[in-house]
Amino acid sequence: MNALILSAVLGVIMMFSGILLKQKSAVRGVAITGLAALLLVNILELRGIHFFKIDVAGMMYFDRFALLFISIALFATLVYFILSAKDMEKVGADYAEYFALIFFIICGIILVASFKSLLILFLGIEIISIPLYILTGADKRNLKGNEGSLKYFLMGAFSTGLMLMGIALIYGAAGTFDVEKMKFAIETPAVLPVTGMLLLLFSMSFKVSAAPFHFWTPDVYDGAPTVFTSFMATVVKAAVFIGFIRLFDETFGTFQVKWQMWLAVIAAVTLFIGNITAVFQQSVKRMLAYSSIAQAGFMLLAVYAMNTSAKEGILLYAAAYSLATIGIFSVLNKLNDYTFEGFNGLAKQQPVVAGALTIFLLSLAGIPLTAGFLAKFFMLKSVIDTGTGLWLVIFAVLMAAVSVYYYFRVIQAMYFKEGKADITVTGRFKWALVTIAALIIILGTFPNILINWLYF
Amino acid sequence: MNNVLHLAYLVPLFPLLGFLINGLGRKSMSKSLIGIVGSGAILASFIVSVWIFMQVKGGNTFTAEYFNFISADKLTIPFAFKIDQLSSLFLLIITGVGFLIHVYSTSYMHEEKREHFGRYFAYLNLFVFSMLLLVMGGNYVIMFIGWEGVGLCSYLLIGFWFKKPEYNKAANKAFIMNRIGDLAFLIAVFWLIWKTGSVSYDTILPAVKEGTSGLNNTDILVITLLLFVGATGKSAQIPLYTWLPDAMAGPTPVSALIHAATMVTAGIYMIVRSNVLYSLSPVTLNVIAIVGLATALLAATIALKQNDIKKVLAYSTVSQLGYMFLALGTGSYIAAVFHVMTHAFFKALLFLGSGSVIHAMGGEQDIRKMGGLAKYMKITNITFLIGCLAIAGIPGLSGFFSKDEILAGAFMKSPILYGIGLFTALLTAFYMFRLYATTFKGSFRGTHEQEHHLHESPAAITFPLIVLAILSIVGGYVGVPEFIMHGAHSLNDFLAPVIVSVDHGAAHAAGHLSHSEEWMLTGISTALIVIVVVFAWTRFSKKPDTAEPTGFGKILANKWYVDEFYDAAVVRPLNKLGDFLDNMLEKPVIDGLVNGVGKLVNYSSRQLRLLQSGQVGSYVLLMVISMLLIFALQFFLRK
Repeated sequence: MNALILSAVLGVIMMFSGILLKQKSAVRGVAITGLAALLLVNILELRGIHFFKIDVAGMMYFDRFALLFISIALFATLVYFILSAKDMEKVGADYAEYFALIFFIICGIILVASFKSLLILFLGIEIISIPLYILTGADKRNLKGNEGSLKYFLMGAFSTGLMLMGIALIYGAAGTFDVEKMKFAIETPAVLPVTGMLLLLFSMSFKVSAAPFHFWTPDVYDGAPTVFTSFMATVVKAAVFIGFIRLFDETFGTFQVKWQMWLAVIAAVTLFIGNITAVFQQSVKRMLAYSSIAQAGFMLLAVYAMNTSAKEGILLYAAAYSLATIGIFSVLNKLNDYTFEGFNGLAKQQPVVAGALTIFLLSLAGIPLTAGFLAKFFMLKSVIDTGTGLWLVIFAVLMAAVSVYYYFRVIQAMYFKEGKADITVTGRFKWALVTIAALIIILGTFPNILINWLYF
Repeated sequence: MNNVLHLAYLVPLFPLLGFLINGLGRKSMSKSLIGIVGSGAILASFIVSVWIFMQVKGGNTFTAEYFNFISADKLTIPFAFKIDQLSSLFLLIITGVGFLIHVYSTSYMHEEKREHFGRYFAYLNLFVFSMLLLVMGGNYVIMFIGWEGVGLCSYLLIGFWFKKPEYNKAANKAFIMNRIGDLAFLIAVFWLIWKTGSVSYDTILPAVKEGTSGLNNTDILVITLLLFVGATGKSAQIPLYTWLPDAMAGPTPVSALIHAATMVTAGIYMIVRSNVLYSLSPVTLNVIAIVGLATALLAATIALKQNDIKKVLAYSTVSQLGYMFLALGTGSYIAAVFHVMTHAFFKALLFLGSGSVIHAMGGEQDIRKMGGLAKYMKITNITFLIGCLAIAGIPGLSGFFSKDEILAGAFMKSPILYGIGLFTALLTAFYMFRLYATTFKGSFRGTHEQEHHLHESPAAITFPLIVLAILSIVGGYVGVPEFIMHGAHSLNDFLAPVIVSVDHGAAHAAGHLSHSEEWMLTGISTALIVIVVVFAWTRFSKKPDTAEPTGFGKILANKWYVDEFYDAAVVRPLNKLGDFLDNMLEKPVIDGLVNGVGKLVNYSSRQLRLLQSGQVGSYVLLMVISMLLIFALQFFLRK
């Protein structure tokens, strides 16, 4: 609750800061300080210190899982601000407004992570989506951006329709929006809630870009200004996943038999399409779009398994995936050429940057000693723990092997190809990259320093 | 952890530091600094070892556990050092002889470039570190770390002059031969883990003694045999001995330290350490005795016809190691350790002496081109002679006592073993004095250039020679046999606590053989040896053996063609198999499969990409079709 209110207030503050502050660096300073404060108050709440006591009529509930995830999301956003906030200047003139929109998105993320009523879920998803439509088209003179924005909006509206329809049907069946009070027959639920559930499954799949509802992703991620793709593909996607897990655990947990099979199919198709299509991409930005689909496929395994290691794992996955991807995008921002060739010879020019980037890519590919490995391990373990779906595990591992191909192409370009990948970076930027790389290694060695927060 | 012996970690720590300093600073440190660091590290270890030895002698033995090295499920392997009579004795030998050889090396290697000089001392320190780990380890796993470490250092030092391809080949040969043995060692360790759930000496050995270890007779047989195979690799026994003569490619001090005094005795140490196990497996003991004796005899015959000064010493080392295994096989564990110790002194002395000779001869190693060196190199001559007398077993020198004890033990087991053992001892005396007389007596047969340069070596070389010569003389007096002087075998009393079954050991040899019998045996062997020595000396000082060998001599000169046999029986068939698999399996099948998967992925990627048409209409259509499909399957087919 601390973070929710503060983030809304911060969004408003950022809007005014654009008028009051002339210097862009000052705006950036306010945003970073505000976000750090946000992270702080949220961690305080995680440690049991509440600043606000507001009666939400049971529509929201901040448990440790929600608060820990919000902390991870806020931390990832903070990293994102530190690495990439300066690059937002390149997008357009409305510098402060971008920050304001991001704070509003955070507001939506907090709602999605802590909803107890389907209405709040809907509200959260929409509060996330609408600023994203704007950010996608933030570069107004860029046709590709505008196209992406429009596509995103059109299909987003379609998915919103599905979601509303689904919620309406559930309401019809249960007579309430409150997930605590819904009581569905366990073995043979009626057609009404099952249809509603499937519609919600489709719309949530759309939001996390799971196949076959992923079509918007490459076009939007590719069209949007790279700085915003970075945010969209990481923090936002992870947040929707938390909503996804909560929805299917708390609302539809009772008739898991009805949807588990579909999730397995969706996860498999997502893994297949994401990984295989990424192989042929020539642009690293577009490859990362498909990579985000592929990674979503892995995270879907947690929704499929829905047990303790799934919930622990998804937090680790969110952290590992977000940090690594933000790091890669922050370097991509600085390059002029987004193709694989653009990375040629980076290791010679910027050994530190290339080194950190290698660790990020290794983590995404799931190589041991990195957080990405353990995250994938937790996902697979959670599926094995259910005792079903061994084929899914094997398939996921094979697809992870395919992913090595396109991630390593970047490493290969940096280290083994001759070229002039010319970027200028500040010392602080390097330090930040190295810190994240170190964090990924630490999480990959001692994941419990993160997971233990769930319990202690 | 209150025991003062907790500080034992200092012993390997110094060489490790020396390795790091010399290894990292080899390009920036001066040669004298490198020498001081390298030798100083070993000296520091030696001082601590002496202190430890005093502690152990005072009755303080201790197993120091520092941290958990491996912890998996029920298996816990601590990083532990076991300090007892056996390991403390080996510590003294390793650091003591090691220090002398480091000092020697500062002069012997002085012509190397600074960088290589530093590299040499770094390797040498790393070797000592590994060897210390091997003997101090409190369980088989720590021992194995040292075991592999010394193997690595041996490889690095044999190939120290890596620009010569044949030296690299020798290094490879040593490493590969050792790996064969190491595999057996590893299997034995896993077998122990499987059956007993532990690798610690303190857990396994007492349990085996009491019969509560869970090992049945078959287990013990298999484990002891496998460990012995490991020992044949490291300690150069049949069939894995051929690497040791080739290992002479390394610098001479390396041959002295690694391939004579310390590393090659690792197998003996390991078996003595596990003597509880071995004593329960008479079959293995018989195998060891036979293999040891056969090796001793085979190597001694080969040594008769070698003309390279280091090769003679190398085969003599193999032969003497065979002797030690004979002692182990007859249950005379203490005699084996005793011989390890005396052998370390006189063989290091002989190698260092040969190094001094080679140094003076400007790199020449062929004894046919030497002769009459006694005139030019007084100290080397005298110390080398002492070494020869000691190894031949002339009474009063260290080799006499240890060899005699082994032969006495063999006699108790079977007179045949004794007979062959004695014959081998005679051969040893013969070839050693052939070597000595050809090298130091007679007239010089080299070039004038070489004769002009002949000179005694500097003090850093002669000092270790003198110290080792003294040790070669007095080293035997810690084990004066019972029949000569009652209660003078102090080594027996010292090592008794670590040797479990004294009944089998030579310690009670006197109980089985009467004193008069022992006097008789010793008298016979001594008389024969003296005759052989005098014969070889007179014959080869007058007319050195420079002719090309013919007939049987040629077979010996060619080492019984064992290398050729191995090449034909193992190496070439393996190469052929490798070629076959490469051409028939690897390239067409495996490569095709792997590349095929890659191509398939690439192809599917190209096709799947087309789904992404860029048209919102087609996207929505595809989504709707998928949804309808799921609805249909959900409601109409899954019921």
